[in-house]
Amino acid sequence: MKIRTVGRHAREGMRNLFRNGWMTFASISAVAVTLFILGGSILLSLNVQNISLNIESQLQINAYVSNVVPVKALPALEKRLAHLSGVRSVRFVSKVQALKQMKQILKSNADIMTGLGNPLPNAFILNAVNPQQTAAVAKEVQSTPGIESVQYGQSFLPKLLTIMNVARDAAVILIGGLLILGMFLISNTIRVTIFTRRREIEIMKLVGATNGFIRGPFFVEGTLMGLVGAAIPSVVLYELYRWIAQTVKLFPPFTLVPYPLVITHVVWVLVACGLFMGVWGSLFSMRRFLRV
Amino acid sequence: MIEMQDVWKEYGNGVAALSGISVRIAQGEFCYVVGPSGAGKSTFIKLMYREEKPTKGQIFVGGFNIERLRERQIPMMRRHIGVVFQDYKLLQPLTVYENVSFALEVIEASRKTIQKRVAEVLELVGLTEKANMLPRELSGGEQQRVGIARALVNKPSVIIADEPTGNLDPDNSWTIMKLFQRVNDRGTTIVMATHNRELVNSVRKRVIAIEQGRIVRDQERGEYGYED
Repeated sequence: MKIRTVGRHAREGMRNLFRNGWMTFASISAVAVTLFILGGSILLSLNVQNISLNIESQLQINAYVSNVVPVKALPALEKRLAHLSGVRSVRFVSKVQALKQMKQILKSNADIMTGLGNPLPNAFILNAVNPQQTAAVAKEVQSTPGIESVQYGQSFLPKLLTIMNVARDAAVILIGGLLILGMFLISNTIRVTIFTRRREIEIMKLVGATNGFIRGPFFVEGTLMGLVGAAIPSVVLYELYRWIAQTVKLFPPFTLVPYPLVITHVVWVLVACGLFMGVWGSLFSMRRFLRV
Repeated sequence: MIEMQDVWKEYGNGVAALSGISVRIAQGEFCYVVGPSGAGKSTFIKLMYREEKPTKGQIFVGGFNIERLRERQIPMMRRHIGVVFQDYKLLQPLTVYENVSFALEVIEASRKTIQKRVAEVLELVGLTEKANMLPRELSGGEQQRVGIARALVNKPSVIIADEPTGNLDPDNSWTIMKLFQRVNDRGTTIVMATHNRELVNSVRKRVIAIEQGRIVRDQERGEYGYED
């Protein structure tokens, strides 16, 4: 293909964008709205995932050792706990260490502990391989001889996990649906544009234009529409996310994924999707018009 | 130049448009295709520029075996053929000049060639003065001359015309006819489907008559032979 031809395609494509002003506007809007929602969903689900990871990593099982267990039996007990199915890690915290930690937390009020001796038990801190199975693992730990009691956030944990699972699934379904809807909108709008230019394509074919040549301007059009359609939501989301990240103060585990990193990735995804939608939309919808 | 060997064309609905056509048209010939409406004239014409594919039989146009043509060779073959239509098929938003130069741009001719050729053919069809006008500012006859200029601009060896005077009054029809004769005098083959009795009977050329999908008459310097 000659350079002059590339220039012609670019010029024609641009001119067509303006010539079909309303259709162009409709297509770009469709891409922009779709990608805005897509980008928003990605950001939302990334953060939900981030928060749930934060929480899950903090899900630990505290197993308190009965006072009747002698110190020299502790290593065997630790081994036994480590071999329970679903256990990822076991860490021993002696009653001495526990007391030290307690005093640190209490700081200036640490004196209230004096005279009490050490009321704290020896303990093991366990993590489940799969945080979702924390409850099941805790039950097993509880039934191990020598363990007096177990704590793992029994009350709030199941609810939290359910909410997170639902949120994650909903985000995936939403994104999938939106992509399909967006493509449908775009291919439809471009099909209308092509329909009005059927005559032009027909004549080009009759005077001996190759299919590649006929596609040229449409390709340029689709690409430009996709890019502009991706640029708008990218800028909006970037600014919005930055504003939220800077304005809203959040505490762990409810923290945002740091914005410069994540937003850059999301922008690339949007640009790629926009290009794909635009190019695919224009080329796919003109396929049947090329068979003259 | 153009040769058909036992060509059959059946459309998807089972209607047989052509049943066993064999014909040979030599380089430089001028040939009318006549016959009642629905006899198969249009199909006959469309097969020549591969708008339709034959169901059976072989077609050769200017060295191309139409039936064996690959999808990507079709554009190359069409560059050797100029097609003229009853409804002109001009692009309304483009000027006369652009409508003609379009045919050369599409085949990636150089800018110099385009300028030179478009000027030549516009002069040939007598529209140099109206190069910057839009199709809707022209009369029917003038629009058809633009159509012919576009068909001629890449120097085809054949011009195929489907009812080129069908929408024109007698005066304009004569202008178009004279134009075709001039083109034919330069050695271009012309195949013209027509209902114009007066033209066929006054300017005697070879006449191929098609009825019910068959060639029923093929005579040199023939007559129109129908009453319509």
